[in-house]
Amino acid sequence: MTATAQRPRLIRQDGREKVTGAGRYTADVVAAGQLHARFRYSDHARARILRIDTSRARELAGVLAIVTHEDVPDVLYGQMVKDRRLFAREEVRFDSDVIAAVAATTPEIAQAAAELIQVDYEPLEAVCDPELALEPGTPLIHERWASYEADETMERDGNVLGRSTIVRGDATAAMAGADVVVSSRYEADGAHGVPIEPRAVLAQWQGDRVTIWSSTQTPFAARSGVALTLGIPESHVRIIVPLLGGGFGSKCDFHFEAHVAALARKAGRPVRLVFSRREEFVAPDHRRESIAIELQTGARRDGTLVARRARLVLDAGAYCGEGGFFAQLAAMHAIGPYVIENVDIDSRLVYTNNQPSGSIRAPTAPQTCWAVEQHMDELAAALELDPVELRRRTLIEEGSESPTRQVFGPVGIRHTLERAAQMIGYGQPLPENEAIGVACGWWPSFGMPSGAYVKLNGDGTATIVTGAQENGSGAVMGLPLIAAQVLGMRPEDFSILCQDTDAGPYDSGSSGSQTTFNNGRAVAEAAGEVAQRLRELAAEQLEIDPLDLELAGGEVRVKGSPDRSVAISELAAADAEILGKGSGAVPEQPACSPDSGCLGRLGMESFLEPQLITHAVHVRVDPETGVVRVLRVAAAHDSGTIINPIGANGQVHGGVVMGIGQALTEGMALDGHGHQRNPHLLDYKLQTAADAPRIEIAWIETPAVNGGPNGSKGVGEPPSVPTPGAIANAIARATGRRVHRLPMTPERVWEAGR
Amino acid sequence: MKVEAILRINGVAVPVEIEPHWSLLRAVRDAVGLTGAKEGCDDSECGACMMLLDGEPVNSCSYLALQAQDREITTVEGLAAPGELSDLQSSFLEHGAVQCGFCTPGMLISATALLRRTQDPSEEEVRIALAGNLCRCTGYGAIVDAVLATAAGRAADSVP
Repeated sequence: MTATAQRPRLIRQDGREKVTGAGRYTADVVAAGQLHARFRYSDHARARILRIDTSRARELAGVLAIVTHEDVPDVLYGQMVKDRRLFAREEVRFDSDVIAAVAATTPEIAQAAAELIQVDYEPLEAVCDPELALEPGTPLIHERWASYEADETMERDGNVLGRSTIVRGDATAAMAGADVVVSSRYEADGAHGVPIEPRAVLAQWQGDRVTIWSSTQTPFAARSGVALTLGIPESHVRIIVPLLGGGFGSKCDFHFEAHVAALARKAGRPVRLVFSRREEFVAPDHRRESIAIELQTGARRDGTLVARRARLVLDAGAYCGEGGFFAQLAAMHAIGPYVIENVDIDSRLVYTNNQPSGSIRAPTAPQTCWAVEQHMDELAAALELDPVELRRRTLIEEGSESPTRQVFGPVGIRHTLERAAQMIGYGQPLPENEAIGVACGWWPSFGMPSGAYVKLNGDGTATIVTGAQENGSGAVMGLPLIAAQVLGMRPEDFSILCQDTDAGPYDSGSSGSQTTFNNGRAVAEAAGEVAQRLRELAAEQLEIDPLDLELAGGEVRVKGSPDRSVAISELAAADAEILGKGSGAVPEQPACSPDSGCLGRLGMESFLEPQLITHAVHVRVDPETGVVRVLRVAAAHDSGTIINPIGANGQVHGGVVMGIGQALTEGMALDGHGHQRNPHLLDYKLQTAADAPRIEIAWIETPAVNGGPNGSKGVGEPPSVPTPGAIANAIARATGRRVHRLPMTPERVWEAGR
Repeated sequence: MKVEAILRINGVAVPVEIEPHWSLLRAVRDAVGLTGAKEGCDDSECGACMMLLDGEPVNSCSYLALQAQDREITTVEGLAAPGELSDLQSSFLEHGAVQCGFCTPGMLISATALLRRTQDPSEEEVRIALAGNLCRCTGYGAIVDAVLATAAGRAADSVP
């Protein structure tokens, strides 16, 4: 039991509407006269479009609008590389490229009309293997790649979209001088975020302004995308997010809001799009990237890591989306939270004709960590060291220098290792076919601009108006804890107005585990302004210096004489304009100085306030069937100070179970021609309540120096990072054989054991 | 062609006009206007659409609305009187069993049915009873705890 148990257990404000069924998600919102949208997707993974004929579809009774590339400005969009149009014009590059959208009076008529649209193609050979896409002579997914507007750090080379190298010292020479060298190759299949809510969008125009209700994690990015692609001012676009039914990254970035807005404009009626589960799998430009990972590490007999060489090839899919930074992030995970004297890491993000990759909970990390942590266990075996002992000797600590020469502040990774090993009972004798595996991982905190207002109401309550987005994690629901602490009020005294781009200041959305980290600082600053004003008002009444006043128990009172006080509600009733605003200074990225020769620097060559994790798992493997059962998980996390324990624990429980799914059952089965064979929950298996084990959590609270409010770091993404690696190491220990492909399905475990 | 039917939902008879092929879920959401039950897959895989039919949980996405005539339908909106919460609903909130909330209506329906069948379920029984309801946020632990605590609370209340 940690100290977090003593902190307040917050009942989330949106909980009551969620348990009574009263809460509205986007697909529950209805606009009078609304039509239903369906898309016509590409029939091929790669083909030239020769002709699009909508005439037969237009004749169908009940069809009010059909939109193709001819109905919208010819604009290329994309956060880091502008490589995509709303509607395919000359070429389709994956099997769910949108060619046309239909609005009709019923979903059935819209679907029938979409199928009546005639598209003539010249099919082209699809390039679906990222490593093959690197070969000379392979067709280019984007022939005009060199001319696209793109972030300068992106690599414009054939099908290579992004490349990141991290070089330090001379890895080749160090490898030659090492006592032990281990080499491995691992392959991770793509995977999905699978929020239980399929996405939905409802668009309604009022004159030349459009209001869009959308199940997005990033309303401000959605607003920008609509404005850019439809050629209208951002101020004419209002994005409102009703309750969001989970995202896990898959609902980040601008997606389908503009398609629906274009339909609504042409039809002159509100239009709503609701995805089927199949569409939710295949159509978004967000799914976890497959990665091929080659690792070689040289060590001295005592375990010192003298050199690592890594080659990573990541599948970007057909478009960059917001995933352009993946090459660098994967390169950092190929190093991991370890001290390594010499490194030579080369990570390439490659265009293919597969579904585009995009952020899914800790993009690139669980897969790369799974490979690196298995590799570390292989190295431990070669050194005849216990895997925990090898990690004990090589993990970073305060003052350690990373391969890019970042010097770390206080980091609790070694404590997480010891704690996880202790909780799981590492070293205990176990029955046959059972074993314990351990893995360590890390994930950066992301410092980003973010704003909030705190408004005192006349009745002495307050409202937090924030641009932040509640994806379900409870991060926004936890903001009152921060404001209440500053103002000496109770968390339940605060209401929250969020996820409406016309109300709150800018925030980058529920991505990068950043809500508490960045918006928490903004809320604290805004509350601080209110506190300052309250002190001034109370000082006049009490005829005392504001500096001698403190806020506590809903009052402003004299320090040391609490009976001399004014109620906050009294001050609020007398002054109608007590409003604070805050943005909070964005923490600076830690200094680093990578060797010359490091390519693709996007700012992640140092990790701001890294979140550090060790997971230890106990598994049972059935050697007859290859079925793996996870019996227990011990999760020890350093996420800095924990502000909302009920929310933080919820992130670990959910993240670990998602990690178990990724380890054992969740993988995209591709047919080699750009089509996914399992885009449904029957064959893409999530963990159920009956599968999920008990999870024990320990928070190693190392206060962040350069972090969020109260010394906090992010919390949301790291819990799924080391789980697959820990399970893999447990399987190898139980069976004596390694599984080199993720997910580690029964078939693959059985094959490995033969 | 739409047909007329009467659905008895949460104790109230509601006349509706529906297409014969409509699922119970669609009829309740689109014709009755109760949107608590969710469509997560339309395939009986996720359980977000669950309702009680004469007390038994069903995936309403895969049940024809017309077959539900003359049966007692309970949705999440009917688990407590307006403005009130059942002990199970309160327990979900207290245990942090609700995050995004999209699976919550189905979870509550499954758990309500379980607790009517079994007053003192083991953890294993709770986990098996909820295995047809997918949750992506919570990892299930808090939900299981909430159901077990509800059962324990009822047992304590029933002690004379």
